[in-house]
Amino acid sequence: MNGALVWLLVGLGLAVVVVRRRSVAVGLVTVQALVLAGAAAHAASGTDALAAAALAVRAVALGTLLLFVVSRTREPRPIRAGIATLARGGLAVALALALTWLVPAFGLDSRNVERGVLALVGFGAATVALRRATLFHVLGIVLAENGLALAALRLPNGSSFAIELGVAFDLTLVALVATVFHERIFAEFGAGDSAALRTLRD
Amino acid sequence: MISREVLALAAVGAPAVTAVALVVVPRRLVDVVAKAGALLSALAAGALAAVALAAPDSPLVERWLVVDAAAGLFIAVIGAVGLASVLASASYLSSIDDSLVRPEHRSRAYYGLLFAFWAILAGLPVVGNLAGAWLLVEATTAASALLVGFSGKPRALEAGWKYLILTSLGLGIALLGIVALAARSTAGGLDALSWRELSAVQPGHATLVAYLLLLAGLASKIGWAPVHNWLPDAHSEAPAPVSALLSAALLPTVLLIAWRSSQALAPVLGESATHGVLVAFGLGSLAVAVPFLWLPLPWKRLLAYSSLEHMGVIALGIGFGTPLALAGVAVHIAGHAVAKAAGFYAATPLLSLDPHAGTRASRGVLRTQPGLGSVLGGSLAALSGLPPSPLFVSEVMIVAGGFAAGRPWTAAASAALLALGFLGLAHALIETTAGSAAPGDVKRPAGLRVVLALGVVAGVLLLALTAAALFLPGSAIAHALARGAG
Repeated sequence: MNGALVWLLVGLGLAVVVVRRRSVAVGLVTVQALVLAGAAAHAASGTDALAAAALAVRAVALGTLLLFVVSRTREPRPIRAGIATLARGGLAVALALALTWLVPAFGLDSRNVERGVLALVGFGAATVALRRATLFHVLGIVLAENGLALAALRLPNGSSFAIELGVAFDLTLVALVATVFHERIFAEFGAGDSAALRTLRD
Repeated sequence: MISREVLALAAVGAPAVTAVALVVVPRRLVDVVAKAGALLSALAAGALAAVALAAPDSPLVERWLVVDAAAGLFIAVIGAVGLASVLASASYLSSIDDSLVRPEHRSRAYYGLLFAFWAILAGLPVVGNLAGAWLLVEATTAASALLVGFSGKPRALEAGWKYLILTSLGLGIALLGIVALAARSTAGGLDALSWRELSAVQPGHATLVAYLLLLAGLASKIGWAPVHNWLPDAHSEAPAPVSALLSAALLPTVLLIAWRSSQALAPVLGESATHGVLVAFGLGSLAVAVPFLWLPLPWKRLLAYSSLEHMGVIALGIGFGTPLALAGVAVHIAGHAVAKAAGFYAATPLLSLDPHAGTRASRGVLRTQPGLGSVLGGSLAALSGLPPSPLFVSEVMIVAGGFAAGRPWTAAASAALLALGFLGLAHALIETTAGSAAPGDVKRPAGLRVVLALGVVAGVLLLALTAAALFLPGSAIAHALARGAG
């Protein structure tokens, strides 16, 4: 996997942290997963081809599901994150850099890929922490899992298909449950805004 | 004689088949099928537990399946709490007027999810591979989050959402640790992540970081501080029988995965490193939980913070790692499950009697409702570690195990925190049972008869556990727990 492809995946991930519209963010994580599937399909081995198929099916299924949810829960206007766009981007990049500095090389076939994985996990965590719209929380998890899918593709021992398949199955389950909650939260509070979900404290 | 493989399949398969059956049976049969399925599932779990605990010296350890003493203990806990939760669910379902699903599908959806959750949970102690365990832990999130938010009330939606997002993100971090371990393994494919092959990873800083990522991720699901934020909310807003399953079965079962990982990686990283991380999580969780045990909290929130405390105690026992401390861990897991489940079941009649008990501390229940007050008091007394509670014996064993492990300062700090926690819960016990109460409501609250029956059974089990605890140190089971599944 060349450096440009890793940078493309990281760039798509950072864009999820900063864009305003939910539908655009859904498109970004879907394209990201499809790029990963394309990279896996480009590799020669049989298990990578199966991993590519699992990734592609997961990308299309999740993208369709999340766009359907967006269409069913139209917000009158985009929910503003509590933190400005530039600050969000800056914090996400800082978290990604901190992770790449803290975590030593762990054995993937390229340090660049390892940095890309850590950056995507960092961006996923930043999306959950910094965005208020509930759908962005789900997208943060998908983003982090895309990073882990990238790591699984570069495992030296050829276990990528099983991991991709397992992650795809679990991620789809979690996303389905999250959409049930999102729709009910939207119906109850009139918006998919996590700011309304801060009443339980001690 | 039935093989352990078949029994393991039955322990997981019986609740799974029941979950599927509940989807297709006519509506009038849902309750009957649920109760029959629960009985069969508990019997299968009991049989597997009996076989595993009867021969602790000869565990079955394969690539994808492990049946050892620890699996026996956890399967027994899951089976017992699962059965009791199903029995306690009818009164919960009759007490609610709204939910995530339409009234005509309410029982079917609730029991279907409960049995799916039970089946996944039963798979965790017997799965022989870290990657398989991760998949099951993540799947428990999907099933149990819907149960947490089942009432559909705003507070339940908030609790369910936090639980779903925080634990899913945490498990993503754990998966990063697992992928890093797989990358550093000298064995090929997913076999590299089986409990018996996990020690084949290359030593080094990266392996230590992978272990830290794995435990930090699992901590978010176990509810260890500082990643425990979802725990008090989910436990307090979930239906009471589900809270019992979450606290008594889910948290310790996920903790078992952390325990097995620690045992498998100890030869590579060194016991001081693997145990040190567990001790840090344990001590941190105790320190965070204790101040909350002194607050006048609503009943279920108080039990939730008590879960944080007890998961900390179990982590300490595993971290100390001596046979005495591990014997204490086994008693603590069983005793905590029985006492905590009884406490949560009592919440259904308590809330039907006083709907405000969900948002403020209950007082003087023994004065107005002697039966219900006895169950609440018995549960809290056992959880606080008041003798003859088995938790008193287990905490003494764990602290003594800490001294025996050469960690006197940690053991002393744990003892001090446990004493403070005891005082907080003892105060809550006095206020809840004998405090000044509002003029008594003499009506019989919903589900009281079932709760009283379960309370009596819990009392007998707790006393039996106290007696058994005296014989556990030095036994074959304690040594098997120390040996692990590697």
